[in-house]
Amino acid sequence: MNTAKRINRKYKYISLISMLAFLGIWYLATAVLKLVPAYSLPDPVKVITTFVQKFYMKVPDGATLLQNIWASVKVAMLGYVFGVVIGIPTGVAMGWIKAVEKIVRPVFDFIKPIPPIALIPVMIVFFGISLQAKAIIIFFSTVIPCIVNSYSGIKQTNQIHLWVAQTFGATRRQQLFTVALPSALPMIFAGLRVAMGSSWMGLVAAELLGSTSGIGYMISVGRALLRSDIIIVGILTLGIIGILISVMFDLLEKLLVRGGSEK
Amino acid sequence: MKKSSIKQKAGTILLPAVGFVAILVIWWLLVSFTRIGLLLPTPLEVLKRFIYFLGNPIGKAFTLPMHLLISLRRVLTGFCIASVAGIIVGISMGRFKPIEAIVRPIFELVRPIPGVAWIPLAIVWFGIGETAKTFIIFMGGFVNIVVNTYAGARHVDERLMGVAYMLGASKIQAFFRVVLPSCVPYIFAGMQVGLSTCWMAVLAAEMVSSFEGVGWVIIAGQDINDMAQIFVGIIAIAVMGLLLAAFMRFMERILCRWRERGA
Amino acid sequence: MSRKAVIECKHVSKTFYTLSGDHLVVDDLNFTVYENEFVVLFGPGQCGKTTVLNLITGLELPTKGEIIVAGEKVTGPSPKRGMVYQTTNLFMWYNVMKNVEFGPSVRGISKKERRKKAQHYIDLVGLTGFEKHYPVQLSGGMQQRVGIARAYCNEPDIICMDEPFGHLDAQTRYLMEKEVERISSQEKRTVVFVTNNVEEAIYLADRIILLRNLPTSVKKEYTVDLPRPRNYVSPEFLALREEITRDMDPTL
Ligand SMILES: Nc1ncnc2c1ncn2[C@@H]1O[C@H](COP(=O)(O)OP(=O)(O)OP(=O)(O)O)[C@@H](O)[C@H]1O
Ligand SMILES: [Mg+2]
Repeated sequence: MNTAKRINRKYKYISLISMLAFLGIWYLATAVLKLVPAYSLPDPVKVITTFVQKFYMKVPDGATLLQNIWASVKVAMLGYVFGVVIGIPTGVAMGWIKAVEKIVRPVFDFIKPIPPIALIPVMIVFFGISLQAKAIIIFFSTVIPCIVNSYSGIKQTNQIHLWVAQTFGATRRQQLFTVALPSALPMIFAGLRVAMGSSWMGLVAAELLGSTSGIGYMISVGRALLRSDIIIVGILTLGIIGILISVMFDLLEKLLVRGGSEK
Repeated sequence: MKKSSIKQKAGTILLPAVGFVAILVIWWLLVSFTRIGLLLPTPLEVLKRFIYFLGNPIGKAFTLPMHLLISLRRVLTGFCIASVAGIIVGISMGRFKPIEAIVRPIFELVRPIPGVAWIPLAIVWFGIGETAKTFIIFMGGFVNIVVNTYAGARHVDERLMGVAYMLGASKIQAFFRVVLPSCVPYIFAGMQVGLSTCWMAVLAAEMVSSFEGVGWVIIAGQDINDMAQIFVGIIAIAVMGLLLAAFMRFMERILCRWRERGA
Repeated sequence: MSRKAVIECKHVSKTFYTLSGDHLVVDDLNFTVYENEFVVLFGPGQCGKTTVLNLITGLELPTKGEIIVAGEKVTGPSPKRGMVYQTTNLFMWYNVMKNVEFGPSVRGISKKERRKKAQHYIDLVGLTGFEKHYPVQLSGGMQQRVGIARAYCNEPDIICMDEPFGHLDAQTRYLMEKEVERISSQEKRTVVFVTNNVEEAIYLADRIILLRNLPTSVKKEYTVDLPRPRNYVSPEFLALREEITRDMDPTL
């Protein structure tokens, strides 16, 4: 046991105590002192019970927690996959082919600042409250960061590396696959990560505004019934899934992006 | 020589125009000759409506610019509070180990929750007034700004701190002359992301519960099935987003002048 | 020479506590530096030279022993002890003038006075006309000059220089060695200069202190009595160079 490790451990304890203090204060303020009404902020024990109960109970929103998660994840995956499949090639084409860049870039620059959330009513008018509507919202949330990052990833390819490839007689197409794409990979990957975050946000907004299932829907039912324990369980679930996703991305990044990203 | 430059100019003006014209034409064709026309207005109708709303009220009281200003004021209020709080929290977490140990676990819990997920809770807590909206917008921006500022504060060059102390700086002087300036680029990155998240959050908040603002314009359009009004709202948002982003880039240029090479 | 002792290192040891274990880097180091003397600490790479300077300037504190500078025990960084670094440690967000006047400025010296002082040292290091430039716009050699001016402008009792030319190309390096010699003859100061380049050591030093490999301590001292400016290829120069190279531990 050396000195540095001991100091590190000390801070770990402080973190632990801080977490416990947070829960303690929360418990004290709600369950013991009753500073706020229970419909506004339930005590932590109540939140945990509700969380556990939601695994097998369908009240009040008509589905268990896992069913809600699956409903949300299903839509998110659908929109996300489409967004990635279309976004990355578009971005790469924009970065690699001059004509495409000239034509698409201005249009894209105009579309980029539109928050996907603003499109929700359009989709609801078109498709009603349906899976397509949400999937398209998520598609938009995904496709934009994918295009931005793969475009600038390709654009930032080191010109010297391209010249080196050229002197070895690589065709333009070979240069793309052997130099430009690999060097853009970290950037593209970062785009995938950003896209995941923004599509998750788009999904929640879509489910709050018009949905009949999913975590966002569960939260809005909680709000309508003044069941803040349900709302908090929903928010925590979103947080936990968010953490899981980012851990998954960390692992994937380690596996795929060898050589690491330049920072 | 001259010929090629004319050709080049034509390229930079003509090709982008091709993109926009193509989109407008497709839009117009779709509306005129397919059943989508039942739902979607022509580009010309949208433009007309946009101009009309510049001087005439949407809903009861406000013209389009007024709605924009209302949303803008909300965003700026929440964003400014988020910036100040985010910078303070981020820097104190990055610079003081005990504070990091205390705050970080709680922050890590909040971080992965999408900003819009706070909307129902905010409404339960604060009703549907301005406080709830400010809170939602705050949560949207805060997380991004803390994450970036924290990274910046941790990257402050310790040797440079040593230089400052060795030249006679007090802790406070070292903070304002070394820590803060070296965090500025990170803070700015965070504020840029934060601003666009705040903009999303205000939209979502206004769409869920509000009687004015651009988000309301859009959702009111959905309620009366008026697609042109929805589009007017979306375009207004895009323009505003572009302006805000440009403003942030301008500020960054001024504050981070020292990072640019060249005379 | 009055032979007044300015730096006294007495039985100094330093251990670093890291996650991978405890590292003894300096072990019972003893030496003295006299007023207005130009001393070169010379040792193989990674032998703890930077650590010794950090101890003298007070950025690190010794685990054992004590260091006395100008009659005071070192307990932390102080404006009385200046430092020029291996890599340029300029404040990238300040222009040349603001970098150089940083010390006087934080000590509350009036703007007029500190501007005058800073200008004097900017002129001394040959950067007249570059006052408004930001560090990114300067070459490596120029950045080092700013670092030197910044250290001198604070008018410390001693100035430590940590391989200030290690990152420069050979041509610039020779030029900067000449410059440092000129500056230190114009502005007499007590200087502790660290290098792992034997020619640089002999060219600049009044006295050379040879350090051992890790954990470091003094191995041998040489007084350099050659007339200045020194000739890199004079027989005495070459002989001393031969001797020091023979005595030096190999780099780890
Ligand atoms: N803060 C620290 N924590 C842990 N170990 C350190 C620290 N500073 C230095 N060391 C260790 O002390 C040893 C000597 O480092 P130092 O930088 O003083 O050597 P140096 O002679 O200046 O090297 P160089 O020739 O590269 O400048 C190294 O092995 C290094 O790993
Ligand atoms: Mg060193």
